[in-house]
Amino acid sequence: MANIQFHPGGIALEVRSLRVTLGETQVLRGVDLHVPRGQVVALIGPNGSGKTTLLRCLLGLQKADTGEVRVLGQRVGPAVLKRVGYVPQRLSLDRSFVLSVREFLSLRLSATRHWFWQSRRRTDELLRAALPDLRLEPLMDRPVAGLSGGQLQRVLIAFSLLGSPEVLLLDEPTAGVDTPGEKSFYELITQIHRQRNLTVVLVSHDLSMVYRHAARVYALNGVICCEGTPEEVMNADSLREAYGIHVTPYHHDHGPGHHHVAAHP
Amino acid sequence: MFQEPFMQRALLTALILGPLCGALGVFVTARRMSFFSDTVAHSALAGVAAGLALGWNPSGPMVAVSLLVGLLILWLREHTELLTDTIMALLMSGFMAAGVVAFSLLRGFRGELHRYLFGDILSVGPPEVALAAGLGALVLGVLFLRLSPLTLVTAHEDLAHVSGVSVRRLNLLFVVVLTLVVAISIRLLGIILVTSLLVIPPAAARNLACNLRQELALSLGAGLVGGGGGVILSYQLDLPCGPTIVLACVALFLLTLGLSSLRRRPSVVPAPSR
Repeated sequence: MANIQFHPGGIALEVRSLRVTLGETQVLRGVDLHVPRGQVVALIGPNGSGKTTLLRCLLGLQKADTGEVRVLGQRVGPAVLKRVGYVPQRLSLDRSFVLSVREFLSLRLSATRHWFWQSRRRTDELLRAALPDLRLEPLMDRPVAGLSGGQLQRVLIAFSLLGSPEVLLLDEPTAGVDTPGEKSFYELITQIHRQRNLTVVLVSHDLSMVYRHAARVYALNGVICCEGTPEEVMNADSLREAYGIHVTPYHHDHGPGHHHVAAHP
Repeated sequence: MFQEPFMQRALLTALILGPLCGALGVFVTARRMSFFSDTVAHSALAGVAAGLALGWNPSGPMVAVSLLVGLLILWLREHTELLTDTIMALLMSGFMAAGVVAFSLLRGFRGELHRYLFGDILSVGPPEVALAAGLGALVLGVLFLRLSPLTLVTAHEDLAHVSGVSVRRLNLLFVVVLTLVVAISIRLLGIILVTSLLVIPPAAARNLACNLRQELALSLGAGLVGGGGGVILSYQLDLPCGPTIVLACVALFLLTLGLSSLRRRPSVVPAPSR
């Protein structure tokens, strides 16, 4: 799969001198970040580096001690969040809550929000019109809590796209997804990025996905340690700065260009 | 049986509260709030004791104390580092102990204590029926009007926030509604068993449901049949009302469990080989 093309045209996400303290720990220590519009970018960092905290700040879920966060040029609030799609890693549902995929997707569309009283056929027509090419029909009757990791990611992306977002934020999107599922996930991301010219932010600790699928990479460890193209960031010095240990990118047999990292304390 | 006014009132209340608890219970169990409703119910004993000590109808103070405890749980969860389970155990034991101590100081209310602990159809008066009817209409209205945001908040609070749902306000509304339903249901089921009407009908529904629409409808139906059937059985067999309702609901659960295992049983005839 080819790298996704660079599309200039303004700033999608802008973070200035962001500091956040959780309990006794200063998790973000002055983060500065500028994500151009229309690109697929990756925010990487080791566990505890502040990725989730930064993501929560971008979504208006976490208050900052100091600093500023702007999404599509506006302060984070209900108005701008209408233009943002968020794909969490998983849902907080257990198997006993038998919410079907059809019912879950209906929650996002104003035309289908009274799904309890609506016929299945009518709901399907409205969802098909809104998501013409996501091939979700076989999943519609399945309970969301029973989906595999890859299927759930597809459904969560579909849910976000129903809100017609301009920015899509994905939290650890390939965690718990098998290799074929990972491949189809990135094909889907490439497809929707091309069709909708979205800004896509992949938040992950998995370096292997960065190299092939992101146009730009930001490495976080309390601050943005380094940023640039995957080739620039994947060199050992930059990674050592981000991960705080000596690391060596290496290839193995998942496929060409598939990078993993060997860490040496 | 149905000529007796107290029986008419008890049956009507059960037919309102049963489906109400059944529908609400789907979200209570999915959001792991069964212990919350137990805490509110047990704490209500302090309100009952306060009402009796003041010579008032205990329903008012009971609802007020339940609401106070429900809101205290929310406030302490947001403003302290305490775990939610710790907060609820602290409030439940504290308020219940205060209620028991107050009852021990009041003379001549031992029978009242038993009625509130285990429920009593004789204690359902016209004000309780009117309250249950009003609350039933309000809660079912709110539940079905706010069904989509409530479902989304149950699925993922952050996703609901990004999708434009006012999560804090909806959680507050849910806590108030749940607290009121629990407090009103105490008259029928008693403090100790009231949570069962929020837990067993949804569990019975899940045995057969393939989606949330079916789960809500079946749970509502199980609450209706279990509540109404329990009151009738308790009168016919001269059994305590609350426990009989619970046993009726348990019987429905076992019935649906049997039906679901029949539905899932694989065919005993092997498929022809090709």
